[in-house]
Amino acid sequence: MNALIVIACLGIAAMMSEVLGFKKLLLPLVAIGLISVVGLFVMDWNTSIRYYHDMLYFDNYAIAFSAMVTVLTALWLIMSKEYFISTTSKAEHAALILFCLTGAIVMISYSDLSMLFIGIEILSISLYVLAASNKHDLRSNEAGLKYFLMGAFATGFLLFGITLIYGASGSFNLQEIANYLSKNSEHLPMFVYAGVLLMLVGLLFKVSAAPFHFWAPDVYEGSPTLVTAFMSTIVKTAAFAAFYRLFATCFSDLSGWWGETLAIVAALTMLVGNVLAVMQQNFKRMLAYSSIAHAGYMLMAIVAMNHISAGAIFLYTSAYSIASLGAFACLHALGANDNEKIINLRGFIAKQPFNAGLLCLAMLSLAGIPPLAGFFAKYYLFYGVIQSGYLWLVLVAVLSSLIGVYYYFRVIYTMFLPREEEDGVLPKISGGHKILLTIVAILSLLMGIFPGILQGIL
Amino acid sequence: MIQLAWLIPLFPLLGFLVIGMLNKRLPVSLSGAIASLSVFLSFVVSVIIFNEIHQVGSVPERILMFDWINVGDLNIPFSFLIDRLSVIMLLVITGVGFLIHVYSIGYMQHEQDHSRFFSYLNLFIFFMLLLVLGANYIVMFAGWEGVGLCSYLLIGFWFKYTEYNNAAKKAFIMNRIGDLGFLLGIFLIYTTFGSVSYQEVFNAAKGFPDGDAAITAITLLLFVGAMGKSAQIPLYTWLPDAMAGPTPVSALIHAATMVTAGIYMVIRSNVLYTLAPYSSEIVAIVGLVTAVFAATIGLKQNDIKKVLAYSTVSQLGYMFVALGVGAYDTALFHVVMHAFFKALLFLGAGSVIHAMSGEQDIRYMGGLKKKLPITHITFLIGTLAIAGVFPFAGFFSKDEILSKVYAFSPFMFVVLMFTSALTAIYMFRLYWLTFYGSFRGTEQQRTHLHESPSSMTMPLIILALLSTIGGFLGMPEVFHVPHYFSEFLSSIIYRKAELTLPESSELMVMGGSLTMVVLIIIMTYNHYVKKAVMPETNEGELRGFQKVLSHKYYIDEIYSALITKPIDWLASFSYKRIELGVIDRIVNGSGYILNGISSLLRYVQTGSIGTYVFGMVIGIILLVALTMIH
Repeated sequence: MNALIVIACLGIAAMMSEVLGFKKLLLPLVAIGLISVVGLFVMDWNTSIRYYHDMLYFDNYAIAFSAMVTVLTALWLIMSKEYFISTTSKAEHAALILFCLTGAIVMISYSDLSMLFIGIEILSISLYVLAASNKHDLRSNEAGLKYFLMGAFATGFLLFGITLIYGASGSFNLQEIANYLSKNSEHLPMFVYAGVLLMLVGLLFKVSAAPFHFWAPDVYEGSPTLVTAFMSTIVKTAAFAAFYRLFATCFSDLSGWWGETLAIVAALTMLVGNVLAVMQQNFKRMLAYSSIAHAGYMLMAIVAMNHISAGAIFLYTSAYSIASLGAFACLHALGANDNEKIINLRGFIAKQPFNAGLLCLAMLSLAGIPPLAGFFAKYYLFYGVIQSGYLWLVLVAVLSSLIGVYYYFRVIYTMFLPREEEDGVLPKISGGHKILLTIVAILSLLMGIFPGILQGIL
Repeated sequence: MIQLAWLIPLFPLLGFLVIGMLNKRLPVSLSGAIASLSVFLSFVVSVIIFNEIHQVGSVPERILMFDWINVGDLNIPFSFLIDRLSVIMLLVITGVGFLIHVYSIGYMQHEQDHSRFFSYLNLFIFFMLLLVLGANYIVMFAGWEGVGLCSYLLIGFWFKYTEYNNAAKKAFIMNRIGDLGFLLGIFLIYTTFGSVSYQEVFNAAKGFPDGDAAITAITLLLFVGAMGKSAQIPLYTWLPDAMAGPTPVSALIHAATMVTAGIYMVIRSNVLYTLAPYSSEIVAIVGLVTAVFAATIGLKQNDIKKVLAYSTVSQLGYMFVALGVGAYDTALFHVVMHAFFKALLFLGAGSVIHAMSGEQDIRYMGGLKKKLPITHITFLIGTLAIAGVFPFAGFFSKDEILSKVYAFSPFMFVVLMFTSALTAIYMFRLYWLTFYGSFRGTEQQRTHLHESPSSMTMPLIILALLSTIGGFLGMPEVFHVPHYFSEFLSSIIYRKAELTLPESSELMVMGGSLTMVVLIIIMTYNHYVKKAVMPETNEGELRGFQKVLSHKYYIDEIYSALITKPIDWLASFSYKRIELGVIDRIVNGSGYILNGISSLLRYVQTGSIGTYVFGMVIGIILLVALTMIH
C-alpha cells in the first residue's frame, strides 16, 4: 500500500518538476523511487492486508504482480532514457508513465469492482495520451484517437457488466459477490450471466483477445515505440493480473459455463495473432501480432483455473514481458518508422555479434525454446490446462506455437543474411539498450534454468 | 581414503579442461607434462586405495556423488563403487595410461596440434575411469559412451585425411550398434529388477533360477554391447581400421584399456552370466571363433600395426572364451597381462615407425636390431610374452585359460591351442621381418634410423619389466604357490566354476604349448631369417587361401554388399521419394497455406474504426451464442 502512495506521489512530483525546475533530477528520482517501491513490496510479502474497507487487498498475488510490473517499468526506463531527454514535454511523459503504473497496481490489487474500474481508467486515460504523445506524427495521433474510441466502447461493456452483477448481488466487493454466487448457484437470475459476459467482453478487449483485438495492431504500430513497449508488457501484465483475479475470486464457480467459451476465444486469439504475424514485414507490427498471440496463451491460465495456474500466469507474463522488452529495445534502436522493417536486420550478427546474440536469446524465449524462460512458462501453462481437461486447447496452442517459431526464427535468420545495398541502418544500440538486453538475456536464462522459483511463489 | 576416490577421475578431467582451454598457447612439453601429471596423480590415489582394499576383510564401498536422474520412480544416483574388481582396473588404466602419456610426449613432439591430442587423451582416461568406477549401469554407460567418443576423436586425430575420418566413423558406427544392444540390456535390467544399481540388481538376480529367460536375454544384449566395444565377430572390423590413429592411441585405447571394457562389463555382471548358461556358451563360442579367425588374418598382414590389431582381436577372443567357460578371474588376469604386453608391443611398433619416418610396412623394414637396441629387446620380450614363453606374462595367463578350457571342453581346447600356434607364428614373423635380415627401406630412411628418445624408451622398459614378471601374480596350481590374483578376486565372483585339471594334464598342457612355441620360433627363424623368404610385394602373386587371408576374408566387402549398400539404397530412396516427394511437400504446403490465410486475413485489418466496432459486435454475438449453447 505504501508503495502505491509512493508511486502516485512520484507521479505528482514528476508533473511539478517542470514548474519547480528540477527536471534534470527527474530520471534519477524516478529510478530511485521505483527501486524503493520494489523494496516496499518485498517488505509487505506475506502480510495480506486489506485497505480502506476492503477496497484494496494486498495479498501475495497482488504483491508479486505489483512488484513485477514495477520491475518491468524500471527495466523499461533503462531503454527510455532518451525519451525523457529529447522530447519537449518529458515531465508530462514521466508523470503519465507513473500514473499508468499507479493504475496498474490498483487494478492488480483491487478487492472491489469500483476499484477495478478506477484502476483501469487511470491506466487507460494515461495511455490514450501517451499513445498520441508524438504530436507531429499523424499515425501517433491516429493511434491515440483509435485507442480512446475503442477503449471507451469497451469500458461501456465493463460498466454494464459491473452494474448487472451489482444488481444481483447488491455488492461491489469481490468476496461478497463470490459468496452470493455460491449460495445461489442453483437459481441465478439470467442477468448475472449477462453481467459476467459483458465484463468478459470488456476485459477481453483490454487484453486484446480475438475478436476484440482489432485496435491493437494499429495502436501498437502508431504509438511511439517506447509506449508500445510499455503497453505490450507492463499494461498487458496488469490487465491479465486483474482478469485472473476477478475470475479466480468471483466467477470460478461458474467456470463450467464460461470455461469452454473462453477456451475457444483463447484458441482463436493465438491463431489469429500468430497467423497474422507471419506475413508482417514490419518488425513493430510483427511484435504487435505476437503480443496478441501471447494474450491467447495467457488466457489459457484463466481457462485452466486450478492450483498451479496463478503461478503459471505469473511466470508466463514475466517471461513474456522480459523477452518482449529485449525485442522492443532492438526495435527502438532501429530508429525512425520507415526503418522498422525486419529486412533491415540483415548483417546484424556480423556487425554486432554481441547485441545480435542477445536479440537471438530474446526471440528464442518468445518462441519458447528451452532452456529459456519462454519454454518453461509455456510448459507450466500447458500442464495446468491439460490437468483441467482441455487437451484440444493445448494441441491448438502447440500448433500455433509452431507458427510462432516460424516468424521469430525469421528475425534470427535475417540477422545472418549478408547486408545489401538498399538496406537501411542497423540498430544503433546505445549503452542503455545494451544494459537492458543483457539483463533480459540473463533473466530469461535464469528463469529458464530455475523456473520453479517464480512459478512456485504463487 | 576410499571416500576420496572421486579424485581419481577428477585429475584427468581437470587436465582435459586446462589443456583444452589453453590449447595452442601451451608448448608440447607443457601440455604433455600436465596430461601425464594428472594421470600420475590418479595413479597415486589408486595405489593408496588399492592398499586399503587389499586389507583382509575390506568391503566394497559405494560413494554417492550426487543425485543424478530423479524422474518419477526412476532414481539414479551418480555414485562410484570401489571394490576389488574396479581397483584392479583403476591400477591398469592409470598405470599403463601414465606410461603411454609419457611416451606420447616424445612421440608427438613434432605434432602441431599436440594440445588437442593430450586433452583428448586425458578426457579418455576420465571416461574410462568413470566406466569402471560407476556403481550402476547408467554411470558405466556414460563412461562407455565417453570412451567411444574419445576413441572416435583420436582415430580421426589427423582429420585432414579422408581415410582416417572414415576409419573413425567406422569405429563409431560399429560401436553404436553394440551400444544399442547394451542400452536395451540396461532397459531390460531396469524392467526386470526395478533398478540399475549393481548391488540391487545382483542381489535380486540371486533369487532367480538358472537359465531364466529374462536374464538370458539381458546377458545376450549386454554381450552385444561387449561385441562392439571389444571387437568380437561380427563387430570387429573397426579395430584394425582404428590403427589410423596415432600409435600411442592404439596402445592405450585399442589394446590396453577401452577394448577390454566389454570384458570388464561381463566380469562385473558375472552374477547374471553365471545364471545364464546359454548366454555363457554363446560368449565362449563367439570368443573362440573370433580368436582363431583374427589370428588367421594376422598371418598375412604386412602393416606392423595391423598385425598387432588382429592379434588384439584374437586375444580379446581368448578372454571371452575364458568368460564363457566361467573363468572370470582368469579373464581379468589375461586382461591385465595383455595390457602390459600389448601396450608394450604397440609402443615398440610406434618406436619403430618413429625411427622409420612413418613407414609401417614390415616388407620395407628389416635389420633394425642394431639401430634400435632398446626397442628391439623390449619388443622381443613383448613377443615372447604374447606367444606364451615361460616365464613371461602371457605364459601364465594364456596357460591358465588353456587349462580351464581343457577342463570345460577338449574340442575348444584344441582350437584354442591351434590359435596360440598361429599367434606365435604371426608374432615371430613380424619380429624376424622387422629386426633381422637386411634393411629393405629407402636410403633416406636408413640414414635417418635412430633409437627413440628416453621419454619413449623408459615406458618401453617399464612395460617390458612388467611383462616379464607380471605373470607371477597368477602361478599355476601345480606349483602349489597361492594364485594371488584369483584369491584377491574371489569375493567378486558369484559362483566359481569347477574347472580344475589333474596335475598331470595341466603339466601336459603347459609342456605341450611351450614345446610348440619353441618349435614355431625355430621354424619361423629358418623361414624368414635363414631362407629370407619375404612376403609378396605384389598382391597379384598371392594364390588361393593366402589371397583370401590377405584380404581379411573379404569381410569388409561382404559387409559393404550386404549391409551398407542396401542401407545406402534405402537412404537415397527415402531422400528422393519420401523426403523430397512427400514430407517436403507437406511442410512447404502447410507453409503456403499459412501464408495464404495470413495475407487474406490482413484485409480484415482495414484501419477503419467502423469495421473494428462491427467486428467486436459480431464477436459479442458469437460469445452470447457460444455461452447459450452450454
